[in-house]
Amino acid sequence: MVALIHRAEYAQYDFGPEHPFTPARLAMLLDLLGELGADLDPVQAPAATREEILTVHDPAYVEVVEALSRGESRPEAEAFGLGTPDNPIFPGMDLAARWLVGGALHGARLLMSGAEQRVLQLGGGLHHAQRARAAGFCLYNDLAVAIQALVAHGWRVAYLDIDLHHGDGVQSLFYDSDRVLTISLHESGHYLFPGTGHIQELGGGYARGLSLNLPFEPFTGTEDYLEAFDTVVPQALAMFSPHVLVVQAGADAHFADPMGDLALTTQAFEALHRRILDLAHRHAQGRLLATLGGGYDAQVVSRVWTILALTLLDRPLPEALPPAWIERWRPLLGETPPTRLHDPVPAFPPLPGSELRSHHNRDMVSRLLDALARYWL
Amino acid sequence: MLVQEMMRSPVVTLPPDASLQEACALFTGRGFRHLPVMEGGRLVGVLTDRDLRWATSALCPEPRKLEDPVRSAMSQPPITIDPLDPVEDAARIMREHKIGCLPVMDGPELVGILTGMDILDTLIKLTGVSLPSSRLEVALDDRPGELARLTAFLAERHVNIHSILTYPDADRLVRTVLRVGSSQIRPLAEDLRQAGFRILWPRPKPWSR
Repeated sequence: MVALIHRAEYAQYDFGPEHPFTPARLAMLLDLLGELGADLDPVQAPAATREEILTVHDPAYVEVVEALSRGESRPEAEAFGLGTPDNPIFPGMDLAARWLVGGALHGARLLMSGAEQRVLQLGGGLHHAQRARAAGFCLYNDLAVAIQALVAHGWRVAYLDIDLHHGDGVQSLFYDSDRVLTISLHESGHYLFPGTGHIQELGGGYARGLSLNLPFEPFTGTEDYLEAFDTVVPQALAMFSPHVLVVQAGADAHFADPMGDLALTTQAFEALHRRILDLAHRHAQGRLLATLGGGYDAQVVSRVWTILALTLLDRPLPEALPPAWIERWRPLLGETPPTRLHDPVPAFPPLPGSELRSHHNRDMVSRLLDALARYWL
Repeated sequence: MLVQEMMRSPVVTLPPDASLQEACALFTGRGFRHLPVMEGGRLVGVLTDRDLRWATSALCPEPRKLEDPVRSAMSQPPITIDPLDPVEDAARIMREHKIGCLPVMDGPELVGILTGMDILDTLIKLTGVSLPSSRLEVALDDRPGELARLTAFLAERHVNIHSILTYPDADRLVRTVLRVGSSQIRPLAEDLRQAGFRILWPRPKPWSR
């Protein structure tokens, strides 16, 4: 019924010790889940083939990734977003990324065959990768390859992205497809990378009204976020009635994340994860394919994704973190490591300007719904 | 950016003796709002949808009939621009005269047309996001070398700059908005603060963990 997907090779997706997208994030998570007695035994999926990558990526781009991956130098690399501070080149990166794509694709196949109802890939979520461009730590778009396979199977696919950043790669790859609904909640592109994800980006052609964006003001907290989520997401899924829900479950919208300015707590993430499960049951025949995503604070990501995994596994959440886990990861957790799974309440003092922010966020939601009314009726 | 990079061509024109009804068919059928009027290869006026609506309105003291000629309703003399003039000139002329289009003239020849919409397209191009990038906003002192100091700092870290927009701020500061090709904008802003730059965005977080 529930499958976790992971294999040791995922750790090969590593941009080096100075880079925030470090495989240590996964190692800490797996260790915590194991320590909490979650029966892991994850499914080990094969790497995606070149042909499978080419279902969403440009051949010229893939060819350059392969060449750089072999250690060849290519002057056109930067035009493909490669060799940048976000996407440094490393040997073997083609295969490293194909392992992650293979996991998401295998998850999609488990759903299509009916073998599983819920799949969580412990890794991946490379939503910024575009047809012919690497961006924001993402080389190949694992989510898009999986969605493409689900669409080829004849299914309508709803994609939900709760990462801090706009899911621009997935959105643009399916912008004109009336088989895919994309919904992204993120910090506004006026402020944050990648700069897109405005409410006016509604989809193209017959797919107009099937690309939804909820861009939040910086420092938006749990209440505003969940209110917007509840106002838009359930009715969008009810309208679209998908065969499957695909979720990018990034953890970087947490208030302590060093990349951005949203202010969710672990309690907010638990509420989100429970809503996602409930929405999959209500609107997608229980079928759910989730990946991880962004999330860069060592004290936060294992806790948020443990909440995700245990929620999907229908297991109770423990209150305290295992002392053995804290001890093992103290070098990364710092001098004052967390001792509980959830954040303290309140997690931070009230922020000034919250009324103005709520006002702005509510206006954003009404504008989006006003625009959608034209296409949904 | 020059007018010739923003204008549209070829241009649909009207003879002055065409009827207002024919003009109306072009406005509604092709979605035009401005049509240059040409007589013997010479630009003699511009007919706008507003000219047409006023001339045929019951509120007009001398309402024209549908079969009256375009000559009787057009705006003249036409205000024009050169294809090599820059965008700021085009915007200023249109703003000063409160008009919505400029026929583009190379000597006596009509080579294109520039409308308010083309100016908006240009504004979107100048300020918009064409590649995945982050916003960095810095207040620089208004003296030589400040922008160079900032861009050198970014170059050292191999951060590509996709666009720069500057405008004068109070206290002799220059507000500088950059779109940079990196998602790791907070650490970068922190480094810039350490180096003495006044960073307006991203701001430090209002909480500690």
